[in-house]
Amino acid sequence: MLNPLRSEAEAFRFLVWVVVVVGVLIAAVLIVRSVS
Amino acid sequence: MESASVAVPHGAEHEHHGPPPANRSSRVEAQFLGMLLFIISEVMLFGAFFTAYFFIRVVNNAHWPAAGTKLPVAVAGVNTAILLSSSLTMHWALLSAKNENRFGMRAGLASTFLLGLTFLTVQINEYVHVGFAPHDNAQGTIFYGLTGLHGAHVFVGLTLLSFATIRAFRGHFTATEHRGVEVPGIYWHFVDVMWIIVYSTIYVL
Repeated sequence: MLNPLRSEAEAFRFLVWVVVVVGVLIAAVLIVRSVS
Repeated sequence: MESASVAVPHGAEHEHHGPPPANRSSRVEAQFLGMLLFIISEVMLFGAFFTAYFFIRVVNNAHWPAAGTKLPVAVAGVNTAILLSSSLTMHWALLSAKNENRFGMRAGLASTFLLGLTFLTVQINEYVHVGFAPHDNAQGTIFYGLTGLHGAHVFVGLTLLSFATIRAFRGHFTATEHRGVEVPGIYWHFVDVMWIIVYSTIYVL
């Protein structure tokens, strides 16, 4: 399991994961807003 | 006195130097537990500010940003890219440290520091030109509160990075001993994660 407190490498992977998830969420919200 | 000298195994007095090891009250490593408690307290601190943000946007259904004001989304977007690239250089610095690449470690740390400093300078410039003050309205208070809280964390990160950079140029880190780069690196990525959330909620959504 990814633990961002264990090492810098895992913290970096966690950051990349957050960027991807937040990017997907923002895209979904913006698409829903433009449709409705 | 005699019995005490008999109880010590031969040569054991040379194995331990300094004060006795601290008593551990937890099965979790002290460094890990300390970082965990710190991050939890940080999440609660940011959470308090985000609660205020979501309260005025969701509960009060207030206009965001306040009517007649505009947030520099594009400038903040470029600033976000600058901060994210500083995480890349931080990661490069630690990889270089692990591979005994002293140039890469020094260049990575120095560029991370400079990119972080650029981020903070752009944010201060944004405050100068944004056109509203913290006391103007609730939106202004939350905007300055959240971005300022994050900016304070960037400042702390820059302080840690300056120590790591100076130590790197003095030749302190090796492939096996580089905790002085690892811990600021974890902190720096945490600051980046918080900015991703701050930027997406304050500027984009």
